[in-house]
Amino acid sequence: MTDQATERAQRLATLPFESSGPTSVRSVGGFVSAVREIFGQKELLDLLIRRELKSRYKDSSLGFVWSLIRPLTMLLIYYVFIGQVLGAARGVPDFAIFVYAGLTLWGLYSEIVTAGTSSIITNAGLIKKVYLPREIFPLASVGSALFNFAIQMGILLLATIALGQFPLSWDLLYVPVAVIIVIIYGTALALLLSALNVYLRDVQYLVEVAILLFFWASPIVYSWSFVVNATVQRGASWLGELYLLNPISISMIAFDRGIWKAGSEQRVIEGNVIPAQPWPEHMDIRLVITAIVGLVFVVIAQRIFARLQGNFAQEI
Amino acid sequence: MSSPAPESTPVVVRASDVSKRFVIRKDKSLKERVVNFGRSNKHKDDFWALRDVSLEISAGSTVGLVGANGSGKSTLLKVIGGIIQPDTGIVQRRGRLAALLELGAGFHPDLTGRENVFLNGAILGLSRKQTEQYFDSIVEFSEIGDFIDTQVKFYSSGMYVRLAFAIAVHVDPDLLLVDEVLAVGDEPFQEKCMAKIREFQKEGRTIVFVSHSSAQIEDLCDRVVVLSHGEAIFDGGTVDGLEALRESFGR
Repeated sequence: MTDQATERAQRLATLPFESSGPTSVRSVGGFVSAVREIFGQKELLDLLIRRELKSRYKDSSLGFVWSLIRPLTMLLIYYVFIGQVLGAARGVPDFAIFVYAGLTLWGLYSEIVTAGTSSIITNAGLIKKVYLPREIFPLASVGSALFNFAIQMGILLLATIALGQFPLSWDLLYVPVAVIIVIIYGTALALLLSALNVYLRDVQYLVEVAILLFFWASPIVYSWSFVVNATVQRGASWLGELYLLNPISISMIAFDRGIWKAGSEQRVIEGNVIPAQPWPEHMDIRLVITAIVGLVFVVIAQRIFARLQGNFAQEI
Repeated sequence: MSSPAPESTPVVVRASDVSKRFVIRKDKSLKERVVNFGRSNKHKDDFWALRDVSLEISAGSTVGLVGANGSGKSTLLKVIGGIIQPDTGIVQRRGRLAALLELGAGFHPDLTGRENVFLNGAILGLSRKQTEQYFDSIVEFSEIGDFIDTQVKFYSSGMYVRLAFAIAVHVDPDLLLVDEVLAVGDEPFQEKCMAKIREFQKEGRTIVFVSHSSAQIEDLCDRVVVLSHGEAIFDGGTVDGLEALRESFGR
């Protein structure tokens, strides 16, 4: 044996044994060790996010511009058809800002969930060949969705400044809170659904449909006051409460409250007086509870993910 | 069955009673599962890819895993690499691992060779700085030349393997898992790989090697494990191992 070999053997003899693959599967302590493992790979996570962003528009000449064209087209459609043609803009002041704010936050959520759901399948090549903490793949989808969100958020803020509607008040703090809640729930769903999708490919199609449906279950193209009117007038205020149980709805309302200045003021449109939005009571407490429940959901989702990932390599 | 390596060398891989069962489901879609719900057992087939395999590999040894097609060699390699989890038994290992399984260890077809080198380096546990350090030497070893800035999807299969091998040998692994990939490169490159593997052996690295080429096994390995239908039927010296392999084909 050469010296180098002896040295290596001596070094190896001092190393502790690690079990191959993911460590503990069952306990909640496994969550902590999984988080630590992922944190140890943050450089790789960063590279995977870049890869996802780079490869998406790799061969197109407009590249990143495409990620802007889609939401702007949607804004145009909703502004013209829902707002002007169907007249929603008559009840919602600064309709363009309102819709764009809703689309921006919804875009973040739907991108995390849809890209996250297929993330394990699209990275089959890696999963079959190397061991990595697999949570990294749905998390990379979250990262790339956040990047797109940041660009759109920048445009939204510029638009509010350009229109002289920059929401300079303490309510602005609702914006990061709403974004954090959306990220929490998006991440939990991405973890859970990506693992399920390996075993049942129908999940990704189901998600597409659910995303279409839930788009209308949050105040994106109609405002919160529409919901209040529709439920209270019919004497069904419990329906409004149910609506607020949807974590995305409550975050959307918080987001609007932060960024959409006109919502908190009384405005006059074409002679009609539009009162300020009747923001839900105890909103801060509701948001805190929603966030805490979301964090529990993340832990549960990660535990399920850890259970299912043992067979990923052969099921893909 | 004693391992031929001297007692003093530490054990790098320890597998005890490892079994892996594959369930072959014939219905994949939701509709089929609902339709076949009560009768789901008829739509499942069990297949034992590994059955109670125990194995200790000590540092510095080169182990050849051989066996007929479908005997569980590649599965065993993947279990050692942590890519699949065994149903029963545990696999423990220590030291840095690099695995070369099938073609292109996790390249992204749309990214260039350069980007893939960094991605793969990170996957195999190198920091960005370390990859930068090794970069030139990786490119030189792979003989890819100017194609390093071409998207990997335009590479030939030989170029793929050359780049993958070049990265794997530069991450300073203690344990290298190789699964038949070397058969793809041309002869000069195979020679180069063999030379590199011999260098690795001198440096006391451990290599686990799956191959169908008796010549390669005889040339490189100091120990052979013969698998047949998921069971380890022989574990010992190279010459006897290849003999046992030939016998196992008849079974």
